[in-house]
This record gives sequence, structure tokens and C-alpha cells, in this order.
Amino acid sequence: MESRPLVVVGAGVSGSAAATEAAKAGVHVTLIDENPVPAAIAGLNVPQFFGQRFSGDLRDRALMLERVAAASEAVTEAKAAGVDVQLGTCVWGAFRNSDSSRMLDGPQLGLANDERSWMIKYDRLILATGARDLGIAFSGWNLAGAVGANGAFCLMNRYEASASRRMVVMGAGNLGLSTARMALDRGIEVAAIVDVSNSVRGDVALRTALQREGVKLYMSHTVREAVGRFGDIESVVLVEIDNNSEPVAGTEKVIAADTVCLAIGLVPNVELLSLLGCDLRFESGLGGYVPDRDDWMRTSVETVFVAGDVAGFHEGMVLDSEIARNQGRLAGLAAAESLGAIGKDEALARRADLQAEAVDSASNEVNSNWASWLQSLVTAGGPDIFVCPCEEVTCAELNDLHPPRRLKWKAERQSRRNLRTLAKDSPADSDQVKRLTRVGMGYCQGRLCREQVSMMLAAETGRDVADVPIMSYRPPVRPLPLKVLWPREEAEQVRRDWPKWFSPPRQVLG
Amino acid sequence: MSVVSADVVIIGAGVSGLTAAYFLARAGRDVVVVDKGIVGGEASGRNGGMISERTDEPAMIPMAVEAIKLWATLDEELGYPTEFTQQGRLQVAVTEKDMDDLFSERDAALRHGLRADMVDPSQIRDMIPGITDRILGGLFFANGGHANSQLTVQAFAWAFQDLGGRLFQNTVVTGIQVDGSRVTSVETSAGAIAADMVVGAAGPQTALMTQLVGVHVPVAPARVEILATAPVPPLFDIALVGNGLYGRQAASGNLLFGGGTHEWADVHLATDPDKPNTPLIRNIARRLAELLPCQADTPVIRSWAGVVEQVPDMMPIIDILECPSNYVVVTASAHGFGIAPATGKAVSDLVLYGETNIDIGAFGLHRFSDIGPDWRAELGWNPIPPRF
Repeated sequence: MESRPLVVVGAGVSGSAAATEAAKAGVHVTLIDENPVPAAIAGLNVPQFFGQRFSGDLRDRALMLERVAAASEAVTEAKAAGVDVQLGTCVWGAFRNSDSSRMLDGPQLGLANDERSWMIKYDRLILATGARDLGIAFSGWNLAGAVGANGAFCLMNRYEASASRRMVVMGAGNLGLSTARMALDRGIEVAAIVDVSNSVRGDVALRTALQREGVKLYMSHTVREAVGRFGDIESVVLVEIDNNSEPVAGTEKVIAADTVCLAIGLVPNVELLSLLGCDLRFESGLGGYVPDRDDWMRTSVETVFVAGDVAGFHEGMVLDSEIARNQGRLAGLAAAESLGAIGKDEALARRADLQAEAVDSASNEVNSNWASWLQSLVTAGGPDIFVCPCEEVTCAELNDLHPPRRLKWKAERQSRRNLRTLAKDSPADSDQVKRLTRVGMGYCQGRLCREQVSMMLAAETGRDVADVPIMSYRPPVRPLPLKVLWPREEAEQVRRDWPKWFSPPRQVLG
Repeated sequence: MSVVSADVVIIGAGVSGLTAAYFLARAGRDVVVVDKGIVGGEASGRNGGMISERTDEPAMIPMAVEAIKLWATLDEELGYPTEFTQQGRLQVAVTEKDMDDLFSERDAALRHGLRADMVDPSQIRDMIPGITDRILGGLFFANGGHANSQLTVQAFAWAFQDLGGRLFQNTVVTGIQVDGSRVTSVETSAGAIAADMVVGAAGPQTALMTQLVGVHVPVAPARVEILATAPVPPLFDIALVGNGLYGRQAASGNLLFGGGTHEWADVHLATDPDKPNTPLIRNIARRLAELLPCQADTPVIRSWAGVVEQVPDMMPIIDILECPSNYVVVTASAHGFGIAPATGKAVSDLVLYGETNIDIGAFGLHRFSDIGPDWRAELGWNPIPPRF
């Protein structure tokens, strides 16, 4: 099996900077990025909420590879520094030994492109896996045209393959405002920016410029529903909300649009960190679960470093890419130092001019904003909106712990069970709720519903969302066709020793 | 610390403990179930959900047959869904060796009066659309089936509570008090629970639990793996075994298949065992695509692992310890899920009457009287060297 001294996952701002920094220090660096993702995977809303709003260009793999490579100066710079850049390659698994598994002779990553998968070993790993779109349910968000900010950004910018024409943006923070800015720059109309707050949270200059170009802001508003006759969004109904997030009757406004963009928040992509056993903690101001790390960006697993949005995202980072870039350079330096490529003194000296710490975000309690959105959307859209669009689990079904609808289960005993009665037996556990209702078990691998399930569990059971344990991540963390996941060449030993179920005794493992 | 008391304390809210708890509560006993985690949090809620009349261990057949009878009416009885379906279990052969095994298994099944029919490749293709052309033949058990393991454990837990049973989740057993030849109470992180009778249904932790009362029971925990594909349109409702895999298409449409080499695991009394998947899931994927070539483009969306327990002869243990004489040991030795209704009934009978309707003679602890402390090494059940 191939072994690499340093693997960097994610070729965004921070990952590219990390790779370049380590390469300049003399390390042989492999930089892996999953973009462009195969169209079939993008259609599953993986890894971002693409909402089917992509053009046919996405199916042209060669064209996409060309565009993705051209879209980033940072990647070009990394290549120039000697980094081995592998685009269109995802990391779907991270494996390590433990009390219950000793079959590996070192930590490994599972990689795949659109055709095949393979395993590699590494000495050091920098995870710059970014963040994903926060999903919050509204009526009609299962229609084509409901997208997320990162999904829309990726389609508009990196892929140049957006099929949106007229967009309503949910969220008037920097994320929403900059998505609207990007849309206008790409010739997409922005019909409205909506926010549940009564004031614009985002950057004043950005907002003023948008308003000057005729973009209307609807503050203290929420989305009642997105409407479309043939599976595609055609219009959006907004409604004003009062101080209790309740919709005000008679204030509905119908706005023609083919795209509704959720730009309420981003959530750090910690799935590989979770598989590797890195300590994670909940930080409301940083988008949810983030890795514990030291001031060299090293996680609790000493060979694993983080940089960029995965280390914690806040809206200040939307307008200031220096934070992510400096975190990347720092992680690159630290990895190079730990590999012995440079000395500690040199690392310290190079570090002096890096301001990698995020600006103070403690005041930015994003979860209260997320919770207001969730409450307003559920109140406006009703209990039958889908929390989990893949498995079609509604808010009411989640609250009632309703068995999957296809079972048509009607027994009276079941109707006495719900999230609150479950919480009396044991603290709310998203994995248990997942098993009972199938919420989060769909093809998007829970990307769209995790956070709102935690928020709903917390709200229903009177707990803080920080106390709801993280819903588990399982490999493959990207959906992979059987024929991609399978090993082309299977180890002879594995084939020979493959047992029947624990029988006969002496052949179990031997 | 307040002292709780109960007629029976059951250690372990897995499927063996919960089925026993349910039948005991139904018989009017005051029962407390304690578990270090949540209901069915380990193998009981993580297994493949296969239900069959087993022929590989003849002594288990009456138990398996009894279990299937109970499964048939469980949904109605419990008031909660288990997703039990009984469209049969099909074992297919892809090699000549597989075929030989099927014939001997068929002969064994007939000897024990089970329904088992050899089926040819064209019949198999009707039963499992899209199955590989490499199929040589199959053995069909009409009484087999499958259920949703996660819904089933919760169904038993809730039905048990509906009968007044008390369930203490996230509660760690820290000690077992013995006075003379009897357990007097189970000490837990939530306080002591006085008990007339204790049922140790601790799965992989069975040996650690009996050690608390000074008894050695040979149990080895092992980790096993399963993967799940995205949902596909309904293909088959039969439990399928072949090409080194076992699995089913769930009611949700997902194909759930497991198999492959197992690894011996370490477990603890207070914490959940680590259950990583390994690169073995790629090999499981390969075998599934070989078995169902029409699904080669279907994405795998998750995988998981679970820790099961195994005893030297791979059969259940259902017995009362000699001393302390009010401690029942139950472990199903990695066959737990399918036969659980019957093991629960047997444990309940043992607690209530000191004897059972079903013959559990083969499941006694006496069979391990010659097993020494080095039994795992003697069987070759040691951790394997690196494989990937």
C-alpha cells in the first residue's frame, strides 16, 4: 500500500495554504480534493446542498476538472511549490486500530474517484475539510431549487454550472449577503433576502451595495413555503413574524423564484475527525461540534491537524479569508516540524507573522439564530414539513417517534410514546431517535437534518443543544457505488480466510 | 443512597435481557433492567436481523422453532412494530463446496423435521431478481425471515414498561453483593438494587459480570461488520445467505449485508466498546456486487460494527449458577437476535419455575467444566496479526 508523509484533505484556502507551506519546508505533500464531485453524487446533495440546481455541464467530467483547477490560484501556487494535487478524489474513510480492531498496520485513509477506491497510509494528516450547509426544514424544501449557500457558491463559482435564475436568500448575515453578491455577479437575479431577525447581522457595506442594486431585504420575515407544480420551485411565500416567531396573518408575500438558498449557517465537516477519534466539543459560536486543538492546529490525535472552517466556522470568516489561510500555514508548519523537516525554532520564527486565531466569536451565539429560524419555519410551515427529506420524516413524526410511515402502524400504545417520554428514560440521544424514526438515515447521510434533529431534541426535552450527543458518523462518509468502493484487487489472504458465520470454530480467525 | 428492590434484576437491556424481562413482567414479576447504555445499543440493535431455523447446531433447533412461532404474533402482542417478515431464508451456492454444504445441511434439516427444499438456479432467479449467473443452487427454508433489530429491542423495552417494568439506562453495574450462596443486591451507579433473583444478560460482558461473583464463564467478545446501501426498489423479502455474506433488503429498501472475518475485541463493564469499521467493508461491498451484479451502481451510504460474544462450542448458555444460586446466566453466542423470544421465554421459565418447557440441557454451564483459563489460546481465538 502506498504511504505518504503528509496528506492534506481539502484544497480550499486553508488546505492549499497548508500544503504550500509544508512543501516549502521540504515535505512531500499530497493535496486531495473531492471537487469536482460526480454529478450522481451531487444529485444526492453530497457533500453540499446542491438542490438539483446545476446545469448539464456538471456531467462533463473533463470540463469540470478543468474549471475546478482553474478556479483556485491557491491550488496553482501549491502545484508550483511541488505539491502533488489530486482533484476529483474524495476521502470517504479514515481507519485506525483500537481495542476492538487490530487488523491495520497503521492509520489509513480510504480514497475514491468516480471510478475506483483505494487505501493509503500517512505519517501526518491535515484535515481542511471545510464546512457544509446547515439544513433547516421549510415547507417545499424537498423540491428542486432549495439549495444551501456553500452548494450555490460551489455551483456558481468553482463549477460555473449553476442553473439558478432568480433566487431568494434566507439569512442576512455575511453568508447570505455574500451569496447574494456572488449571484448578482453571475447574472442571477436576487429577488429577496429574508431574515427572522429585525436587523441585518451582516456587513454594512455589503448590504448597502446590494440595496443600491435593488435587492429587497425582508427583516422579521420567514419562509412559509416554497411552491412548485412539477417538482421545481416556482415561487416562495414569505410571511412576517412577531416577537415570538409567530407568523402574522395577512402579511404573506408571494415572490417568483426558482431557487431558495439556505444561508443561515455552515457546520464544520468533522466526519473524518470523528472516525479518527479526535476529541470534539460543541461550540455554538463556531457552528457546532469542532475539534479540540492546540495553538499549532494539532488535534487530540497527535498526527492529525486541522485548518479552516473545519476547525470552527463563524461569519467573520466569510469576508476575511486570511483567518483560514493563516490557520492553514500554521498547520503546514506544525506538520513539517513534527516530521522533522524544519526545527522548532524555525517553525516559531515563521509562525510569528501569522494571525491564525479566529476573531472573537463568543458574542455570536449562532445557535440562538438557528433556533429562531427553526421555530419560525416550523410554526409557519406546520408540523408536516419534512425534517429529513431523504426518508420523508416530518417534524410531527419525529416528535411522536412515529415508526416509519410505510408500516402504517396505528396501535394505541405507540401513540403514547414521544420524544418527551423517551427522555424520561434516558437523556435524548440522536442515534436512538434515528433508529426509531429513520431520521438521518437517508442517502444524504444525515447532512441536511443532523443539526435540526439535535435542536428539536433539545427543545422538546428541555436541554441545551450542546448536551445532545453528536449523531454518529460512519464510513463511507461519501455515498460510493458498490463497484467503486470494492477493491479491484482483493488480498489473497482475505479471500482465503473469509469465513462463514463463526463456523466452524477453528476457522473463525485462526 | 436510596435502595431500590425488585423480584428480578436483569443486567443488560439487549434482546436477551429485554425478552426475559417482558415475559417475567407479563407473569406479574416486579422486574428492573439495568444497562450501561441505551436499549439495544450494542449487538442487539446492530445485527442483521436474520431469523432462521438453525441446523448448524442441532441442539438449538427446538429453540429456533419455538422462537419463530413467537415472532409471528409479536407485533400484535407487544403493541409496537418489529418489521418481522416471514418470506423464508435462502442460502445460495456459488461454488461446488457450497453446494456440498447445502446438501448436508438439507439432510440435517430433514432429519430434524424442518421444511427445507433444494431450489435450482431458475427458481432462485425468480426469488432474487438480478442475482448472479454464477449461482449453482440453493437451499430454501420456508419458515425463515427477518426483522428490524432496532425496532424490535425498543418494542420489547416499551412493552415491558407498559407492564410496569422499570428500565434504568445509562446505569453501570459496579458490584454484586453476595451473602452466603445468594446474591442480595446489584450495585449500580444509580444505587443498590436488592433482588431475589439476578439475570446476567450482559452479552459480550457476560464473563466480566460473572467474575464479580467469582465465577469463570468462557466468553470471547468479537467485532463484526455490516454495510447498508441507499434504498432501492423492492427486490426480495427473503433473508439471503451466500458468497460469504448474510443479509436482507429492509422494508426501507436498503440492502443490509454483513460477513467476513471477525476480530476478537476487548470490552469493559462501564463503557461501550469501541466499534470501528475497517477496510473490510470494501470486501463486503465486492462480495455484495458479485452476488447482486445488478446493484453494482447502488451507493453504499453507511456501515457499522457491533460486538458479539462467542463461547467455545458456539451455542447459547441458559443456566443457573451453582453459587450464587440465584444468578441466571444467559448469552446467545452470536445467535441472539433470531432466537431471542424463545431464550427470553426460557429464562423467564427458569426464574419462575426452576425449569423450562424447551430442553435447555445442552445450554448448561457444566459443559465448560473442563475449560481452562487458556481456552482461547487453545482454540486459536487470539487476536490476528495485521491484515490490511
